Amino acid sequence: MNAVSEIEVEGVALGKDYRRARRTPRTWARSGGFSTLLFLLPMLFIFGAFSWYPIVRTVVMSLQHTNLVQPATWVGFANFSKVLHDPLLPIAVKNTGYFALLALIFGYPIPLISAVLMSEVRHARGWYSALAYLPVVIPPVVAVLLWKTFYDGGSVGVFNTIFGWVHLGPYPWLQSQRTAMPSLVLESTWANAGGTVIIYLAALTGVNSELYEAAAVDGAGVFRKVWHVTLPQLRGVLLVTMILQIIGTAQVFLEPYLFTSGGPANSTLTVLLLIFDYAFGNSLGGDYGSATALSLMLAVFLAIFSLVYLRATRSWSD
Amino acid sequence: MAEERTTLISRAEWRKPWVRIGVGGTQALLLVGLVVIGLGPILWLAKAAITPTNDTITHPMGFFEHGTAWSNLREAWVNVDVGRYFWNTIEIAIGSWFTQIVVATTGGYALSVLRPKYARFLTGLLLTTLFVPAVVLLVPLYIEVVRPPLIHHSFIDSYWAIWLPAGASAFNVVIVKRFFDNLPREIFEAARIDGAGPFRLFTKIVLPLSKPILGVVSVFAVLASWKDFLWPLLVLTDPNKQPLSVRLPTIQSQTELGVFLAAMFIACLVPIAGFLIFQRSFLRGSGLGGAIKG
Amino acid sequence: MKSIRIATAVVVVGLVAVCATAAAIGSTTKSVTISVASLIPGSTPAAIQQFNAQVAEFEKANPSIKIKPVEYQWTGPTFAAKLAAGTLPTVFEVPFTDARSLGDNGQLADISSYVKALPYFSKYNKAVLAEGTDSKGQIVALPKGAYAQALHYNRKLFSQAGLNPNKPPTTWAQVETDALAISQKTGKPGYVQMAKDDNTAGWILTTVVYSLGGRMETGIGSKAKATLDNPQTVAALNLLHHMRWTDNSMGSNFDYGWSDINQAFAAGNVGMYVSGSDVYTNLVQASNIDPSIYGLAPLPLAKNKNAGVLGGGTLAAVKPSANTAERAAAVKWIDFFYESPLISKAQAIRNAQTLVANKQPVGVPALPLFNKAQYDLSQTWIKPYINVPIAQMKPFTTGIFNQTVVPEPEAATQSVYHSLDAVVEAVLTDKNANVQSMLQQANSTAQSAISSGD
Repeated sequence: MNAVSEIEVEGVALGKDYRRARRTPRTWARSGGFSTLLFLLPMLFIFGAFSWYPIVRTVVMSLQHTNLVQPATWVGFANFSKVLHDPLLPIAVKNTGYFALLALIFGYPIPLISAVLMSEVRHARGWYSALAYLPVVIPPVVAVLLWKTFYDGGSVGVFNTIFGWVHLGPYPWLQSQRTAMPSLVLESTWANAGGTVIIYLAALTGVNSELYEAAAVDGAGVFRKVWHVTLPQLRGVLLVTMILQIIGTAQVFLEPYLFTSGGPANSTLTVLLLIFDYAFGNSLGGDYGSATALSLMLAVFLAIFSLVYLRATRSWSD
Repeated sequence: MAEERTTLISRAEWRKPWVRIGVGGTQALLLVGLVVIGLGPILWLAKAAITPTNDTITHPMGFFEHGTAWSNLREAWVNVDVGRYFWNTIEIAIGSWFTQIVVATTGGYALSVLRPKYARFLTGLLLTTLFVPAVVLLVPLYIEVVRPPLIHHSFIDSYWAIWLPAGASAFNVVIVKRFFDNLPREIFEAARIDGAGPFRLFTKIVLPLSKPILGVVSVFAVLASWKDFLWPLLVLTDPNKQPLSVRLPTIQSQTELGVFLAAMFIACLVPIAGFLIFQRSFLRGSGLGGAIKG
Repeated sequence: MKSIRIATAVVVVGLVAVCATAAAIGSTTKSVTISVASLIPGSTPAAIQQFNAQVAEFEKANPSIKIKPVEYQWTGPTFAAKLAAGTLPTVFEVPFTDARSLGDNGQLADISSYVKALPYFSKYNKAVLAEGTDSKGQIVALPKGAYAQALHYNRKLFSQAGLNPNKPPTTWAQVETDALAISQKTGKPGYVQMAKDDNTAGWILTTVVYSLGGRMETGIGSKAKATLDNPQTVAALNLLHHMRWTDNSMGSNFDYGWSDINQAFAAGNVGMYVSGSDVYTNLVQASNIDPSIYGLAPLPLAKNKNAGVLGGGTLAAVKPSANTAERAAAVKWIDFFYESPLISKAQAIRNAQTLVANKQPVGVPALPLFNKAQYDLSQTWIKPYINVPIAQMKPFTTGIFNQTVVPEPEAATQSVYHSLDAVVEAVLTDKNANVQSMLQQANSTAQSAISSGD
């Protein structure tokens, strides 16, 4: 099929304007526009039906009262008002923030330190990477249920037995409002840190070795090199992983759902769990309006947060 | 395998004894830590899977004090029907993998190689989609499956409800497109001059060249499907169609602990085996191919 | 050109699909197929076999009806999902608490005409039948089983603790002392209570409160007033607090739900707990309990004229999308499977024989759906087949009929329970939980659920 080359030649010879002016449906079809569309069809259909349309629907449904039996009615901002007045909302927001904060404090430095250490391994680095990544490939449901067994509050629970060897505990783990959330963060870190380690390892190999040499010439020791060369070079990755982690932990669902169902006494109730409860928690039918309203509020919050974050960190990553 | 480039610690520094001991010691500690923390829980699971329930409950850190109980595995596979859920998980993974490959390759190809005028717009749309948190899709997608707009038949309990939405991964399309962007344009020109149309170009040139990126997409597609929980939980209400991740929590209260742990262990086998075999694809893809630089 | 061809193909395929569906729906063939709720997922193969045997028997007697068993377990969240998606079987089960609301919302088929044609219709206990009648007086569900809350106790642990297994506690004070004895002498928790966030915590707390004479609501419908923070609720919570923190007789696990508390009990790890009087079936089917450890006692009631035993039950309902033939078939199945073993001697005996042949429990105590005389009669029919330790359940079977059975809170029942879940969990996990403020919070949450007509 020479239609493409024909038009290109024509265009070159006659100038771009001429080509544009002659663009009719027939030339479009002839120039392969139709086959392009055909190639795009799977993507357009799948995304249209299962990504873009639902996004629009979320906005629409947040302004409606839907119960799947009668047709939906428009209720304006009533859903948003209802959600904002729900006494569980501040609890959920606080808990989600707490989870994200703990995950940041505990789960953010560890992969970095591990990756830096691993990048200097001379022999069999593959073993280190494999071991670090192993928890990531375990299905999250299995990881949670396994750790739930570990967290048994009795004195013969796995962790309590281990702590018992050094005469500590037994700890209530998931059975106490104070220790439930940290227990969740601990398992979540275990299950996810490996992925971040690998990202950092890959980025570390991209650090220009001349910088290290220069630093060495300047008499910098290991710690100084890390501070002055490694970290600044990794700035971009570090900032991206931080925002990704925050966005991810803000949507945490699996751990609170499977470990504690949001308990004890709502101490592990997160925003996602609340959305789930609105939509799927009532045996008589879901409040889809409130669920979508809260989803939207969370999404908007994360968008604003990301923008502020990008603005604030732009000066650092340049 | 000696590293030629100078990294954090130069050759010269390595020769210093305190550096060797200090850093080496820390690395050894790290290795021990990784084994205990990374591997430990999984080894415990393997051990508990073949330990009698009573032993696991009373002496969880013991080591086969009353012999082994291989029957746990058999019971899990047969009585608890883990076998069925295992095959369900495989079936779901294959279908999801397929839609993702089709969407990512055709979409990436069109955007990267065929480059229609509106490619920029579509790519921008994809990137925006990438930043929309998944929670926004949950409820309307569910309603869409329950009451599809044009077809008056719910897709609840149908695997299509999982296979089709799985294809909507903007990440996949973006990384495949990027890969195609990095292919030398001369190959395409040469093929075009030889008279290849867009379809031939796709099947005979582009696809064969894309094995690495397809490997990465495949590995992640299968892994993501194996790990998926919330969505299958919502749309597969028929226990006979549920995958392992959805079924395991539900049967916990009907199954004795030893058999249950055996079932969990079986659920881990495929991901672990797949990881050990396809390590390179995993680790390369996870590093985002150096996609994000400093 | 190509696009036109593709478009035509799509239209043709669409038309064929539409025609096929229409044909399937509109068929008026002689045979009717209905799907029915069978057993809870994870039941033993023996239980499944027994069910299939009963299906075969029904199909033989009704050759024009085909039955498709579907595993089924009612839990709050999954029921709503199935309801929304329309994936419930034709015949399914709902608890007393939900039937009326579902009927009023048009989510249950009106089966009044078929039910009224049943020969024993007039014999139903009116209160129990009312649970399946919607506010327009239409019958939307038939009661299949009623239970009262009861105290389940482990006879073996009682003996080991030096208590008489034939003399279970009759007051809450005795429950406390017995629990303490068990936990001290055997190391196992003497008393545990459901504390999971899935409404079961609130359900059992309500049970205890009712047994002390309190009530969670006054009035009915959306005009009802929530009274969650009544003095008996505080007393019930103080009882829990005392056992948990002072006596330390409740073990270390405080997130038991309905299934896992049964599992823990069947494994011999629990001294006493409160649940429906009919859970023995689940203990056998899901957890393989050793019958010799099982004891059943009536719920201790306070010496208060309002003290009563919370009753509940399950109804069998029919999907609203079922057509006439399907509804008739559904009621026939309900009659055969659920009702006639209670009212027809021949059916009761056949039913019992099938159950016994598949090692399923026969004779688990229940509350009468008709009247006490009928219940006693039906028990004599199946007496030779009873394979549950009925002697060990004597305290309950003799004591229950002296107790007043009280129905669950009528308005927004599940929401009332849900708002109490967090209070129970707080008391059990935080020694200094502020019970008063949590109860007030729960009360206002429940009140708004009631007022909005949920």
